[in-house]
Amino acid sequence: MHRRILTALLTLTVSACATTKPAEAPPAEPSGAQQPQTPAPDAEAFRQTPPKPGTPPELVLPTFEKAQLDNGLTVIVSTRKELPLVFAGIAFAAGVSQEPASKLGVADLSYRMLLEGAGKRDTVALDNAFADLGVSPVMSVEPDGAFVGARVLTRNVDAVMALLSDVVLRPTFDAKAFDRRKKQQLGELVRRMGDPNFLAQQAYYAAVFGADHPYGHPSGGTPKTVQALTLADAKNFYVKNTGPRAAALIMTGDVTLPQAVEWAKKYFGGWKGGAVAPKPPPAPPAPPREQVRIVPKPGLEQTVVLVGRPGLATGHADEYPLELATTVFGGFFGSRLNMNIREDKGYSYGANASLGTRLGVGPLTAYAAVRQNVTGPALNEFIQELAGLKTKPITEQELAAAREGLIRAFPGAFETVEGLGGSASRLFFQRRPMDEFKKSVEGLRDATAAEVQRVAEAYLDPASMQVVLVGDPLVIQEQVTPLNLGKLTLVETPASDAAPASK
Amino acid sequence: MKALAAAALFLGSAALAQQPEAKPLEPGRENLAIPYEKYTLPNGLEVILSVDRKLPVVAVNVWYHVGAYDEQPGRTGFAHLFEHMMFQGSKHVPDDVHIALMEQSGATDLNGTTSFDRTNYYETVPSNLLETALWLESDRMGFLLDALTEKKLETQREVVKNERRQGVETAPYGEAQEKAWQALFPAPHPYSGNVIGSMKDLDAANADDVKAFFRTWYAPANATLAIVGDFDVAKTKALVEKYFATLPSGPKPKRPDVKPVKVTRETVIRHDEKVATLPLLSMSWLTAPYLKPGDATADVLATALSTGRASRLYRRLVLDKQLAQSVDATQQSHGAQSVFTIDAVARPGVTTDALKKEIDAVLDEVRKDGVTQEEIVRARTRYDTRQLAGLQAVGGSGSKSDTLQTYNQFVGEPSYVAQDLARYQEVTPALVKQFATDVLRPDARVVLHAVPPSQGTPPSSGSGKEAR
Repeated sequence: MHRRILTALLTLTVSACATTKPAEAPPAEPSGAQQPQTPAPDAEAFRQTPPKPGTPPELVLPTFEKAQLDNGLTVIVSTRKELPLVFAGIAFAAGVSQEPASKLGVADLSYRMLLEGAGKRDTVALDNAFADLGVSPVMSVEPDGAFVGARVLTRNVDAVMALLSDVVLRPTFDAKAFDRRKKQQLGELVRRMGDPNFLAQQAYYAAVFGADHPYGHPSGGTPKTVQALTLADAKNFYVKNTGPRAAALIMTGDVTLPQAVEWAKKYFGGWKGGAVAPKPPPAPPAPPREQVRIVPKPGLEQTVVLVGRPGLATGHADEYPLELATTVFGGFFGSRLNMNIREDKGYSYGANASLGTRLGVGPLTAYAAVRQNVTGPALNEFIQELAGLKTKPITEQELAAAREGLIRAFPGAFETVEGLGGSASRLFFQRRPMDEFKKSVEGLRDATAAEVQRVAEAYLDPASMQVVLVGDPLVIQEQVTPLNLGKLTLVETPASDAAPASK
Repeated sequence: MKALAAAALFLGSAALAQQPEAKPLEPGRENLAIPYEKYTLPNGLEVILSVDRKLPVVAVNVWYHVGAYDEQPGRTGFAHLFEHMMFQGSKHVPDDVHIALMEQSGATDLNGTTSFDRTNYYETVPSNLLETALWLESDRMGFLLDALTEKKLETQREVVKNERRQGVETAPYGEAQEKAWQALFPAPHPYSGNVIGSMKDLDAANADDVKAFFRTWYAPANATLAIVGDFDVAKTKALVEKYFATLPSGPKPKRPDVKPVKVTRETVIRHDEKVATLPLLSMSWLTAPYLKPGDATADVLATALSTGRASRLYRRLVLDKQLAQSVDATQQSHGAQSVFTIDAVARPGVTTDALKKEIDAVLDEVRKDGVTQEEIVRARTRYDTRQLAGLQAVGGSGSKSDTLQTYNQFVGEPSYVAQDLARYQEVTPALVKQFATDVLRPDARVVLHAVPPSQGTPPSSGSGKEAR
């Protein structure tokens, strides 16, 4: 084998020389590289040693500044002046977790009504007004909050702020638009049922948090609850849960804090409303696994595998050690889990694990989509790698790699104004201090090997990991039964019973 | 070894610098200019340098001018499979070291991607790791085959087959859309099907193919290295010289000569959708290649049809008639030929025929009246904002380094932004009307009905031939 490769290389080299025309060669000028007098035995030997990295640059972390208006509105700014771009929007502190159990889906529906007409503009006029400024407004509705905003050229910021002011302070909640939006949301519930990853996520939240927990379901609701929602429900959710004391104006990019405060006063200074930021959802228990949940999708050529449990609330003392342990286990491409399941076995396009941070306890999750006929062996590797954190403790080298990698990636992860804006929103949703990223770096740097090993064993214990599988139920049964991970339970999907009729 | 040293001597001298003049930008658009320097090493490797000091990071981005377009019939998916092999180690870089080393150094935007027209590899690293990134990129450019084994190929073949299952077989509409694409570009056209290839061809790929592919397409003369970010120009030039100048190279390979294809009658595809739960109607047409006359017109029309709630198709299908969950029009620009597509997902209980009728009505309006000047201006403003936003990140998809590379590949001029935006300046309502009439003809399209079993039998309508 080696011999053949060597021959190939030699042939390649010779042909390269032969086809390079002397006429094209530049005049010999020894100005640049030093030319050796006699050919060295291997002129390429220098490649055998990786270059020594130079002195690391000073760690440039994103900076966030905060102010507050008299009406209670928080203003968060991160300045970056290189390009005339600003990301601006309003972050609301109430999200999907604030929905009453009987009205699941109301947060999504309520917030999405903001872009369906505001001030004197209906849906189309509002959209055209944004489009005239080169803007496509974005809306996200998450467990801990919601955000509406836009990326905009500096010269158009004032005009966009005026529109956002209408959107947030004067949404019309038009009855006809509501009916349409509701039907669209019902349709979305049907559409999502076709996506194996969504099916997995839905069953996973219920498995990890419990179906009745505020984090126990994805956004959007169920056909039954959404069908029952009224315009008054949507409006009430918005009025009851939002207001200047439960919101922040986020501005990042070509803008300073004083400028942002001016805009905040001009466009949101008159905002009234009594809502305050909600309390974190309660911490769910992490009981031992008793069953393996299967969401049937007959004939699916892969099985989606989700393995996990409740993790930590943001700000918990174990957060940074667990972030490091999770990174070693499955956070990087070069982590134990991915190197095993993808690079060694070829079972999957990729396997990963992450510690989701939330205001309340977020999920600690491992994921892969695997070829259906290796569902059993692949799931077994998940369990073995989790158990292996105890039998093959995290090495100094693994820990150093995770620590350095996470810390050194901070500057590169904050290049864009929208990236900075997303971080600012999360700081607000999770009630974190403005120097959170400095604290993160310190937390990652200061976590000791003993702490990391302790939390790895405590939180990544396979016995308390819930398992959700989406795929062909017969194949899964055949593949997973021998693993003895608990009884196999079929999960009913809420939307499968009621495909809402349309016109 | 002796031959290698001789090559090093011969090729390792100073490069000739060449600096094409970039067109000045219009007032108000100065921020879109990207200052850069381009030169070519004697072995043919193009180098683009652009300093950007806003953060202490550097993007290293290598484009090989080879994609699915350059594959042989029966060897589809090869360029992409090969992309995976480029992360598996080379002569001086042990297996599994590349990504792990980059990750533990704090690299972001670390990946490789393959399209019909090119393959790229990139990483954004803290500025002190630039030399490490160059070491890694140069080693796989020069010495990949030394470390190639059958076992590595076998594993990556399985990984790629799983990637295909994830993106095609188990993704909503994945197989349906592949069928439509095959109808637009019938085999053996190199754009037929997916870049990722077919399971059959992936199974057939062997180590000899990998070697031949590497020797033909992965030579320095067929690659462009872009370095963008916080670096010292003189020191970096010396590093580029050190790591890349001695890599041997032949002449730039000639890309295959593929005749443009034409669709001359309506092709209707009925697909029993097994993954998605709602019916999809998709119409597609062959259009002008990237940056060629007609491409910008198609972009503007796609934006007017489906960007935002006020766009023509969204208004009619989603807001007014309430027949669709979503609707999307795109001009997918490629080097040989582009594809204009309209996709609409039906509301529960709505047929794809009903969607087709409404889309046709909107297209008829455009064929009759074009679009308004106002819609064209809005589209332009969006492109300006988007172009500027792309300059925020030095590396990764759509970034500053990617922008330089894209223009360089397609027009040989990394800073083509002024000319690119000027194309949109020239789009008029009349041109849009003409495009809709001449190009988006009903008898020159592929119409796909992807219908899940619970939604009734796929319709058999359509005047043209039935494919599949």
